[in-house]
Amino acid sequence: MVYPDGTVALRDVSFEVKDGEFLGVIGLSGSGKSTLLRCINRLLEPTSGRIIWNGKDITHLPQGELRTVRREIGMVFQQFNLVKRSSVLTNVLSGRLGYTPPSWALANRFSRQDRQMAVRALERVGIPEKAHNRADELSGGQQQRVGIARALMQEPKMILADEPVASLDPVLAHSILGYLEKLNTEDNITVLCSLHYLDLVQRYCERVIGLRDGKVVFEGSKDDIAKMSDERFREIYGEDAVRMGGQ
Amino acid sequence: MAETKNTQLTENPRGSLLHAVLSLIVPGLGQFVAGARSRGISLLLTVLTLFGLSMWTVAQRARFPEYAMATSVYFRIVLACAALLLFLLAIRHLLTRFVLKDPLAETFTMYGVVIVFFVLMVWVGDDILATVVSAEQLSQIHAGTALYSGGALAALWLWQVGDAARVGNTKQLPLNRDGSKRFPTMAGAIVIACLLVFALGYNLTGVDMPKAIREYQDVGILLPRILWPWRAAFAYDQEVFEVVQRIQAPCTDEAAAPPSNPVLDDDPWVSATPTCGELSSRPVTGGLILGTELTITGGNFVPGQEVLIRWANPIGNPFTPRGMGETTIIIDENGEFETKLNIPDAVISPETATGAQVHSLIIRQESVQVFGGRLSNEMQLALIGLLETIMIGLMATFFGIVAAFPLSFLAAKNLMAPIMSAPERIVGNVLGLLAGGWAGLQVTDFVSDRLGGLDQAPVQIFLVGMIAVLGLGYLGLQLGGRLSEALLSRLGKDGGYWAAAGLLAALAGFPGYQMGLGFSRGVRAIVLGAEVAAINEEFYGWIGAVLAAAITLLYLYRKRSTRRVPIGLMLYAVIRTILNVVRSVEALIYAIIAAIWVGLGPFAGTLALTLHTIASLAKLYSEAIESIDPGPLEALDAVGANRLQSIVYAVVPQILPPVISFTVYRWDINVRMSTLLGFVGGGGIGFILLQWIRLYQYEAVGIAVWLIAITVALLDYVSSEIRERFV
Repeated sequence: MVYPDGTVALRDVSFEVKDGEFLGVIGLSGSGKSTLLRCINRLLEPTSGRIIWNGKDITHLPQGELRTVRREIGMVFQQFNLVKRSSVLTNVLSGRLGYTPPSWALANRFSRQDRQMAVRALERVGIPEKAHNRADELSGGQQQRVGIARALMQEPKMILADEPVASLDPVLAHSILGYLEKLNTEDNITVLCSLHYLDLVQRYCERVIGLRDGKVVFEGSKDDIAKMSDERFREIYGEDAVRMGGQ
Repeated sequence: MAETKNTQLTENPRGSLLHAVLSLIVPGLGQFVAGARSRGISLLLTVLTLFGLSMWTVAQRARFPEYAMATSVYFRIVLACAALLLFLLAIRHLLTRFVLKDPLAETFTMYGVVIVFFVLMVWVGDDILATVVSAEQLSQIHAGTALYSGGALAALWLWQVGDAARVGNTKQLPLNRDGSKRFPTMAGAIVIACLLVFALGYNLTGVDMPKAIREYQDVGILLPRILWPWRAAFAYDQEVFEVVQRIQAPCTDEAAAPPSNPVLDDDPWVSATPTCGELSSRPVTGGLILGTELTITGGNFVPGQEVLIRWANPIGNPFTPRGMGETTIIIDENGEFETKLNIPDAVISPETATGAQVHSLIIRQESVQVFGGRLSNEMQLALIGLLETIMIGLMATFFGIVAAFPLSFLAAKNLMAPIMSAPERIVGNVLGLLAGGWAGLQVTDFVSDRLGGLDQAPVQIFLVGMIAVLGLGYLGLQLGGRLSEALLSRLGKDGGYWAAAGLLAALAGFPGYQMGLGFSRGVRAIVLGAEVAAINEEFYGWIGAVLAAAITLLYLYRKRSTRRVPIGLMLYAVIRTILNVVRSVEALIYAIIAAIWVGLGPFAGTLALTLHTIASLAKLYSEAIESIDPGPLEALDAVGANRLQSIVYAVVPQILPPVISFTVYRWDINVRMSTLLGFVGGGGIGFILLQWIRLYQYEAVGIAVWLIAITVALLDYVSSEIRERFV
């Protein structure tokens, strides 16, 4: 993946994710984690290479068909990416837009089923009472839960979580990742999650990919991380890295 | 490193003589040679421009027959100023060298030189001029402009000479971080240039403070009427009472004197005693012999207001008593009055003035009904005009929103930039849009015939036309794109691309042909004359067509690797350019055109203001769109929402507050603008305001100005209140 200004963000990255897996992506800021996740649902167009989704090459799908692929892949963002001035319910409902006819948007209309589904999604993340609040009235952790509820509306087969807890404090981080874990185990949703902290990786991920300067420099199970030597660790995180919060 | 060099510079500010001399001869040359290219060029251009500008100003004001003569005169003035300045600088140099050795003195003595130079210009400027310019020439030029602009020009010239010396000595220049030389600041030159422009502006705008003070009286008379015009805002019903007492002159025995009028209970009355007597007379010897004194009493008049006492002669013509004038009396609080009056000398021809004559003593009261006032005509006109004005602003804003809101999405870079399209698709889009638009027009025509023409059902036909053209155009755009993509894909990947490129080039030929014709008619016709240019204008049309096609092909050739054209950015650029051009022309100018188009009146104003409003609101809205948080947009893309859904759910909620704020602000501006639109025939209060100004009806003018001011202030307050709620 090369950006228009010539920055090479990813190079020779190749990996496979199994259905129902919880895959962690680690690496320094700027190592290409976000780019990698955004290439998967083609928010960024990869300059070369292929993306295979359920055995189908989606790298060059036209916009119309891409829509049907994207709606099966939920995404959770570091900055939550909620529409701050809209209500929580509207934000959650907007996760359903991939399934609704576009012209309904002009009338701002969702079906009754969709509305009930949105309430259920909010119940699942534990904030049904906030449905009619404005999104920016919620705390950071609550906003991220709305983000997860929005992804849930897509009935996703996979969730891409781009540093979902980097803007939250550690206690909330566990709560948010707990929800993702629950979706992973209960609904068998594949989760691809980029993370900063190793202890979070060890706690939640089944498998881990380490990126550095756009290249995969590490791949292994969470036991591998637990056993990882400091030198190996520095290879991923660079010279100044210090292990934090780990055992 | 840089630090040490910096100190060296201040300790040893020795410059390069060579570069200084070069710049003395040609401004900026020294800097240019020393490697500061752009500095040298901009200095040269600045000096030349300012010299030309000041010279032209001086010559214009002087009405010189020849500019060459003006140049030489002006050049001499600049030289004289430069000499004076050099003299002062020399004194400063000696002063700082031998007397004031403090480094601070460097700066302060420079201020001193500037102040002394300016003072000398003001006090002995004329003498300086007289030494270099002959008295005759001096009488022909504007001494002030010449002197002050010349002084500034001399200063600028000398400044850049000194600058060349500093810049030329490249070894002493401090270095930037990247190793390039850091040139000294140009603040001095900029300040001098600003002063020069100020001096020119002062004279060109004819600033004349003494005149403003001296002739204040002229405006002093009418100002109160404009500032407090409310007397003219109301009209009062008047009640007129006229009662008559007959007076006979002279008293005779044959005819009985008329009776004194009785005292009435309810109606106004007047009675005089006696009711006969001698007229006043003017003997040939001069003077005036007063006639009989009458005691006049009256009652039941309106208290506190005046009555007029007049006379009428025996045949009923009222007259004003000579030497006495009309008498007015203020009625007391009981509605009564009592006064004494001599019978005046009646102007009656001696033949008829025989025997006893019966004159009439008339008491007239024109009472004003203070509490029965109503709005005067002027006030009513002003109010109607004001209402019209507000409505013009409102309608223009309304139409503006309707047109600008959709446009603004096309003019927002962040939304348009990601839109890439394949040429295979664009061909179909263009053809489909044209076909759809044409079909829409046919539908409109058909409907128009059915409804009996535009005059019969204008609103219906307009609506049908809008919907048909826009709807079918959009349908054509979509269907055409899909159709052409499907068809061209049969030619294989490369074949389809190049076939599309060929078709697009052919399409570009049409506007190219028109532009070629336009060039022939617009540019060649000026040089060759319209008849000659018309002979082979088709040839130029074809050149234009071929050029446009070639450019299109070349562009698509360069895009062959990605097979995608940034059509969104192109549309964005076109729409932004159009909006900027439309916005840069004032609504007043549009109103002049609209007044010719649809006639004088509020519709012309609305039309003009709408055009301007669309352009500026679309710009403001699109800037609001460009500054949204891209996060939600990205999230909705990830969800699988299409463009329309993203706009409704991610863009619109974010831009709503600024859009409301901008719209209210624009409405505020529009009402303010529409007060002036009437000046050029756009209707509203301005229309009558201009008439009143031309008729010198300053009280009416004052009413209009007050109403405008009140409305604008209120609107300003309301609009800022509304905007505060939404930000």
